[in-house]
Amino acid sequence: MSMEQAWVLPAIPAALFVIIALFNPLIPRRGDFLAVLGMAAVVALVGVILVDFTSAFHDGHFEPVAGENAFSFNWITIGQDFFTIEFSTYVDPITMVMLVVVSFVALMVLVYSVGYMHGEARYGWYFAALSFFVASMLTLVLSGNLIMLYFAWEGVGVASFLLIGFYWERQSAAEAAKKAFITTRIGDVGLLIGIILLWRATGTFDIQQIIAAAQGGEIGETYLTVAMLFLFAGAAGKSAQFPLHVWLPDAMEGPTPVSALIHAATMVVAGVYLVARFSPVFAEVLVARDVVLYTGLITALMAATMGLVSNDIKRVLAYSTVSQLGFMFVALGVGAVTAAMFHLFTHAFFKSLLFLGSGSVIHATHEQEVEELGGLWRKMPVTAATFGIASLALAGIPIFAGFWSKDEILRALFDGGETGAFVVLLATAVLTAIYTTRLFVLTFAGEPRNRQAYDHAHESPLIMAAPLVILATLATVAGFFAIDEVGRALGFAGGIGELVYLEEPHHFSVDWALAGTATAGAVGGVIIGWIFWRGRAERAIAARDWDPALHQLLVNRYYMDNLYQGIINRAIMGLGGVIAWFDKRVVNETGVDGGAQSIGYMGLRLKFLQTGKIPNYALAMAAGVVGLALLAFSS
Amino acid sequence: MLTLFLLLPLAGAVLALILPKEREQDAKWIALVFSGLAFAVSILVFVRFDPSVEGYQFVDRFEWIRAGDAGFSVQYALGVDGLSAPLVLLLGLLSVVSVLISFGVELRVKEYFAWLLLLETAVAGVFMSLDLIQFFVFWELELLPMYLLISIWGSGRKEYSAMKFLLYTITGSAFMLVGFLVLGLQAGTFDIAQLTANPPDDALVPLAVIFWAIMLAFLVKLPVFPVHTWLPDAHTDAPTAVSVMLAGVLLKMGGYGILRIALPILPEQAQDFRVVLAALAGFSVIYGAVITLRQQDLKRLVAYSSVSHMGYVLLGVSAMGAVGFSGAALQMFTHGTITGLLFVMVGLIYDRTHTREIGEMSGLIHRMPLIGTVMLLAGLASLGLPGMSGFVAELTTFLGTFDAHPAATIAAIFGVVLSAGYILWMVERIFHGPPTERWAHLPDATAWWERTAMGALVLFILAIGIYPALITEAVESGIAPIAAIVEAGA
Repeated sequence: MSMEQAWVLPAIPAALFVIIALFNPLIPRRGDFLAVLGMAAVVALVGVILVDFTSAFHDGHFEPVAGENAFSFNWITIGQDFFTIEFSTYVDPITMVMLVVVSFVALMVLVYSVGYMHGEARYGWYFAALSFFVASMLTLVLSGNLIMLYFAWEGVGVASFLLIGFYWERQSAAEAAKKAFITTRIGDVGLLIGIILLWRATGTFDIQQIIAAAQGGEIGETYLTVAMLFLFAGAAGKSAQFPLHVWLPDAMEGPTPVSALIHAATMVVAGVYLVARFSPVFAEVLVARDVVLYTGLITALMAATMGLVSNDIKRVLAYSTVSQLGFMFVALGVGAVTAAMFHLFTHAFFKSLLFLGSGSVIHATHEQEVEELGGLWRKMPVTAATFGIASLALAGIPIFAGFWSKDEILRALFDGGETGAFVVLLATAVLTAIYTTRLFVLTFAGEPRNRQAYDHAHESPLIMAAPLVILATLATVAGFFAIDEVGRALGFAGGIGELVYLEEPHHFSVDWALAGTATAGAVGGVIIGWIFWRGRAERAIAARDWDPALHQLLVNRYYMDNLYQGIINRAIMGLGGVIAWFDKRVVNETGVDGGAQSIGYMGLRLKFLQTGKIPNYALAMAAGVVGLALLAFSS
Repeated sequence: MLTLFLLLPLAGAVLALILPKEREQDAKWIALVFSGLAFAVSILVFVRFDPSVEGYQFVDRFEWIRAGDAGFSVQYALGVDGLSAPLVLLLGLLSVVSVLISFGVELRVKEYFAWLLLLETAVAGVFMSLDLIQFFVFWELELLPMYLLISIWGSGRKEYSAMKFLLYTITGSAFMLVGFLVLGLQAGTFDIAQLTANPPDDALVPLAVIFWAIMLAFLVKLPVFPVHTWLPDAHTDAPTAVSVMLAGVLLKMGGYGILRIALPILPEQAQDFRVVLAALAGFSVIYGAVITLRQQDLKRLVAYSSVSHMGYVLLGVSAMGAVGFSGAALQMFTHGTITGLLFVMVGLIYDRTHTREIGEMSGLIHRMPLIGTVMLLAGLASLGLPGMSGFVAELTTFLGTFDAHPAATIAAIFGVVLSAGYILWMVERIFHGPPTERWAHLPDATAWWERTAMGALVLFILAIGIYPALITEAVESGIAPIAAIVEAGA
């Protein structure tokens, strides 16, 4: 197995999807073990490919595997060579990071699901749908071609739709699934238009050729800016960035392991991946890159403030995900691809861990309102400890994974001279520490507030606890990959900066002043959160009275969902109503029915036809045709 | 072989009609056997069709009316090229599907199946005719069974809808006939190939007028705004099988006529009005989609979505180039399978619930997992999901049209968001949500004929979506000569 054969990776879950979806009633345990074993095989193969990958590094340089050397398949050619779509795989360091993240988190989630979903109706379907998702996601990150990427892009969207709507009996779940699909589709249309624009300019869908053409100045700057903005619209939809972020909190209607995999670690970072993939092009059009920066910044801050007030454990994590994705886009917005990918990497571990931990809580208590929880650490020590580690990572406390990557982003902003953005993001990091602490404290510390939920609680079984422990380990150590010595010990030239780069290797080093400031902010946030809540929900309630107007604004998510609903109800459905009325009254009744009656020639036919003797008519028509022909014949 | 395809359903129709009253039910089997044989012939035609050979293949021809003195003749001539071969296959497929889902019909069984089979013969004649007059005769012949099928076996305001359908088509075809006669008499031939090779450069009336006279009939059939209002009525009130045929193949007669007759014979006029056509197309896509969002009746919803989706066909046409035409031809085929399947599913649901009001249904997937799954699949195909046939057609159309008409193309691309809206809204309301007591006893699709009909269409949708070369080669070989003529007319 080498990088050339990477196409095998998505093929495994794709085959399992077909098998489990069609035959799960005939397979023991509805085929869950097939999905898990298949995923384990994928992880093992990624490991083998990783070895091949590190050996391909020479003096810090790496030759991507693409084109003739890789898998390729001519899917369609139209109009001689008007357009050709060649499905092909492409493996470079960015792909490698994504492969590791996707396959590993997927395996953890699948194992965990065996325990979490035990006894659910449609158990087999669940594993089939997850396999479909993983196949699409792996295809997405391996795509060397934009249309192939679009295939996978829509594939993960459908998987997300199916899994958010897994509990389709619940009206809210059905609506959330629909909302997610339609909101992301608005972005997808942008992506498609972007793809078409890039194809028009370059005549190809091949990603590397497009990048080369853009770098070679073959595309006009304004045109390229517009194309990249359309592309970014797709990324913003998938990665839930302002103003298309509204679907992700609702997507929490899906089963919790799904939220961990799809809506925290993998699918929602597809947008980050896409922009990272095109970062050499974004570097050519700085206006578009600034849009990425400020979109990310607004999203990061806004989502963090919403996370401060939500009482639903999963929704807090969802806002947090939106916010952290904003961090990644901010990094991309200053061209710090390494920092963005590094944060994507660490975030995948600690955020999926947070979700799985919250799933453990929900599984044990059947409760997800934090006001009804509290004191759970006594009953669920493993969950509490691992959740705590992930919280520290998210808050950005030193040595934990999130600290390293968040620091890289802040540093890139600082070095890039974006002082204003730096300050805003630093403040957001403090807010992050506060809401994370609040969530942990209200869930695990203090006294239980709902006796029934508390008494019901128990530690999760091993099959769920084991993934928590493994992910907690990674949430602790994943940041160390930044250090050159660690990288060398693992077999490649240096740290992650050596691994994930596009033009020049990025050398990681600690700027003590900056790291100290960030750490002070994070620790300060944790202390504020701890002092304020200390496990007491009364404080959370009191917060409402502190500034009711502000609280309402945040609880109602800045009224953006209401605004969109208003637009859909009033503008679109209203317009639909007007047009439907117009179609019925004006076009049909006045124009058609009225017209039919008023035109004498039509009236004649109408009268004739109203006898209902259609055969007469057909005969007459045929006779007429022959007659006309004969007439012509005789002349 | 083509004559066989033409006559097999007709023979079945005659046989069904002469059945004795007490063996009425056998009409179903006669229809299945004859439409099945015709389907087999259509597969054979498609498989043995050679895309590398120029011109029409499998030609059957003899002279019908000789008019040597006037310098023209009317002939019986059948043939297929890469444009019509896929449509013949589509017709064979959908005819079998229509017969299968009619197995539950109990009213005047003999006549029902006879008319259904006659409909197949008529449409087959349209797709295979190489002569304008012959084309026109079959075009008109299709009206008779359609009128009867809707007005006798339909529901709701069936007489009104049948009459409306009839009047619309006749009005269009009256103009078309005039156009054909002027063209034919001027050129001295009604042979489509000869007319295409030597189109008249002048006539009694301006050629632009003739172009629009002919186009009117085709645009009504397609249909596009503002001549579309017969479609929702006809669909809503027609029996399921007729809706399948109507959406699946009858609408394609319009697109086929444009590509086969209007454009190659009058290329300069087509070029002159390309912007008008593009505007009509883009407008129809959005207009149809926005109205679809408001529909409360399941069948009307699918019907209006057809107005929107057939707008893509006209959009591809308006590009006046090979790729746009290929997109249009692909869209015709894929829309036939996808919307055909949607109407099959609507029919299956209606058979069980006896209502089409979306608001009355909820949580149906609990009772009908198979129907729900297939409906979702059809819906996803309809909203242009990659991996299914609709995406191939839409992508080709968009790429082929973008340079010629960027604004109309972008409008059409945004139609994709609206289709996601109405499809998912429909799925959510009907299949998802809490299951209700009222629908607690619905059976899923268990009959073999129901499952076969669904399975066949799903197979086509997925096969083309995953490997479009199955059909694109044929389509392109048919489009190339047409595009060459039209492009030369610029």
